[in-house]
Amino acid sequence: MTGEKIIQTIAAFIHQILGAAGLSGIIFIIDPVLCAVAMFGFISLFVMFLVWMERKVSAHMQSRIGPNRVGIFGLLQTVADAVKLTIKEDVKPIHRDVIPYTIAPILAFVATFAGMVVIPFDKGIVVQDLNIGLLYIIAITSFTVIAILSAGWSSNNKFALLGGFRSAAQIVSYEVPLVLSLVPIIMTTGTLRLGGIVDYQAGHRWFIFSQQAIAFFIFITAATAEANRAPFDIPEAESELIGGFHTEYSGVKFAMFFLGEYIAVIVSSAVAVTVFLGGWLPLPFLGFLHLPGFVWFMAKLIFVIYLIMAFRWTFPRLRVDQLMDFGWKVLIPIAILNVLATGFVILLLEGGV
Amino acid sequence: MTDLLLSQIKGGNESQFGTDEYVVNLGPQHPATHGVLRLVVKMDGETVKETIPVLGYLHRSIEKICENRTYPQCITYTDRVDYVSAMSVNLAFALATERLMGLEPPPRAQWLRMVFVELQRIASHLLWMGAFAGDIGALTPFLYGLRERERILDLFEMTCGQRLTYNYIRIGGVMIDILPEFVPKCRAFLDYFEPKIAEYEELLTYNPIFLERTRGVGLISPEMGINNGVCGPSLRGSGVACDVRKQQPYLYYDQVKFTECLEPGGDCWSRYRVRMREIRESVSLVRQCLDRLEPGPIETKLPPILKAPPASEIYSRIESSRGEMGIYLVGDGTAKPYKAKFRCASFSNTYVLDQLTRGWKLADIMAVLGSLDMIVPEVDR
Amino acid sequence: MTNDELKSKIEADFKDKITSAVISAQKELIVTVKPENYLQLCQALRDKGDYLFQHLSCLTAVDYPKENKITVVAHLWSYKYAHQVTIKLDVDRANPKAPSLEKIWQSTNWFEREVFDLYGVVFEGHSDLRRIMMPEDYTKFPLRKDFTDDGFIIKPN
Repeated sequence: MTGEKIIQTIAAFIHQILGAAGLSGIIFIIDPVLCAVAMFGFISLFVMFLVWMERKVSAHMQSRIGPNRVGIFGLLQTVADAVKLTIKEDVKPIHRDVIPYTIAPILAFVATFAGMVVIPFDKGIVVQDLNIGLLYIIAITSFTVIAILSAGWSSNNKFALLGGFRSAAQIVSYEVPLVLSLVPIIMTTGTLRLGGIVDYQAGHRWFIFSQQAIAFFIFITAATAEANRAPFDIPEAESELIGGFHTEYSGVKFAMFFLGEYIAVIVSSAVAVTVFLGGWLPLPFLGFLHLPGFVWFMAKLIFVIYLIMAFRWTFPRLRVDQLMDFGWKVLIPIAILNVLATGFVILLLEGGV
Repeated sequence: MTDLLLSQIKGGNESQFGTDEYVVNLGPQHPATHGVLRLVVKMDGETVKETIPVLGYLHRSIEKICENRTYPQCITYTDRVDYVSAMSVNLAFALATERLMGLEPPPRAQWLRMVFVELQRIASHLLWMGAFAGDIGALTPFLYGLRERERILDLFEMTCGQRLTYNYIRIGGVMIDILPEFVPKCRAFLDYFEPKIAEYEELLTYNPIFLERTRGVGLISPEMGINNGVCGPSLRGSGVACDVRKQQPYLYYDQVKFTECLEPGGDCWSRYRVRMREIRESVSLVRQCLDRLEPGPIETKLPPILKAPPASEIYSRIESSRGEMGIYLVGDGTAKPYKAKFRCASFSNTYVLDQLTRGWKLADIMAVLGSLDMIVPEVDR
Repeated sequence: MTNDELKSKIEADFKDKITSAVISAQKELIVTVKPENYLQLCQALRDKGDYLFQHLSCLTAVDYPKENKITVVAHLWSYKYAHQVTIKLDVDRANPKAPSLEKIWQSTNWFEREVFDLYGVVFEGHSDLRRIMMPEDYTKFPLRKDFTDDGFIIKPN
């Protein structure tokens, strides 16, 4: 029972109901809407699980226990936190710039959430397998820079502005190695469609085992910096001293920013899994288990997210100028060299020199 | 309040600030672990122009209080001078009083004092390691350091019933003898703990990010350090042999073997290395002292009221976890000190913060402050 | 050098600049110096080859209201020779002024500020003499023996 078959069965069932009710005409609207709703529901549950996982992982790494009061193993802790955040008073500075102030958290959430549209969880389970999938993700997640800058500016707080500037500079700087690390993949597979990249890996070895291990590490590093996570969490850390872009936000708006951060982590990890780790393909020697593809995908996704979480609790923080140095002077040259080398290898293999 | 302060600083006024400078107040309430220290930082963009520490938020007038208490009553106040390293301050005051009055504690008391002071040094350095790593951004070593420190605090609690403010080392000896199970538990702890030091060093010492944050940052040259009053591990990180235990041995430090940990670098990383090596030295010291413990009395016979000789004074120094801790006592023939001055290492170490951070970034202030191992109650008393 | 050697050497080098040099019952060498020679003595003690008192351990003051004086006490230590000396300077209690040692040992910057804050001794030549522990607008000198904190006691009418 593959994922594709499950989705086709459910879709056929819904179409049958609509047809029986005489509403077959709006199926073309209902389908994407239902997909989006399903994706939203899945993401909400997954983020709740991830927050719990982060707290448990960090606790066990620090020889503590972590949440264990609310629900079995503390699984309902995130629900409690979400309820607390929603019933908090919404404190707003008087002299804020109203429209950017209100839009910034919404934009932060929407920009990253929109990236989930093209992630293939299994052969047929994807909201919309765009032809330009990879380009779409990179483009749409860049909107977070606007969100951060609007948040910093509209708060009418000198230090929030500075924190916003730094964060924006960091994100913009690390976009370049992020994209450059994906270029060799596109060169090798010849397609931007995420489903196509996974199909290519079905026929050949996964990219992380073949020639693109370096690209994987560059991608993970740049993705951690994109999400403002440690060791690149200058905006969060120096919020102890000055204040990051989200200083003047409270309650649900604050929750949106951190939801956006977690979803950015999910999107980046999902792209890493799809592009480097073979997406929904089973591990080569465990193919006999006949598990559905999305089980493999989720397992690999949780593994990569665990890696990113382990980074946070192991490494110290980089200073701002060291962070920029690292991005521009170390990651970008390596990424460019990777592109050159891959191009050279492709030319050799196909040119028959 | 800030206006009053700023207007007093070097006679400056608003026009002295250029168009690019701004003032950041790292206020008394810190999420970092150093306590209530206020830093007024004048910055130009990202770069620090000047750091002005504002003290006095934890000033409890301990010196004035001690002038109105008898010598044994003062010991309880010494715990609060440096609550992370309370045994050392107890010892400093007890030694000063004994030198002032010519008392000599029995050998068992001296060996016990050495055991507890060295255990206290390990506990203090573990807490420092956690706080320093936390300031740099690595949040996990804090938990590991506290986990080991819990075991030491359990040993202290077994002996004197307290985990933080011990009041254990008294004038003339120690408060109470150790329980029979203290020595085996202590040895078991040391055997468990010694391999852990290597684990923590592996996590931090050669981590590239840690090296980038601490190498070359906060350079103290030997001459500048001595002239500015830096002492203790902070000065040993610049290669200056300044350990009071070696230069002016007290208790039985001249009868045990230990090396003074010197590092030539002078930056935050060297100071970190010095303290990690000192933890190992203290472990070996505790083992030696436990081997030399003999049964015997733990306190000398004291007169019912301890009186200092008239017109007497003493300046007595020990090596506490942070550096040189000196007690200056003036006696006037009565049971209360005429003057008691606590010379604390953190007070003189914090003075160099301004010179070390000019021209560096804001994040470096936290790194340098952490590496100097400053405790605010010592600064303010 | 031992205390006796130090004592004879200091008496030989600075015979008319110091008031007295005694070794106390607690085996410390205490040198009392005249105010006009204070800086010269300290500079020589820091720099001259046999003394090399590079480290100023502590600078504090003791208040003697009965003798109408405040004594500024400095403890010096030599890392090279491992010897110690105490330098005392008596200042008039009604108008306490003393030369500042900041040019010689920079660590005295904060020690002298503390003595100024708590005793009221004005150090001439100090670059930044202002209060360090008490609030900037405080008017009293807490560690003096005649200090009363009546500002904090609510007296019944």
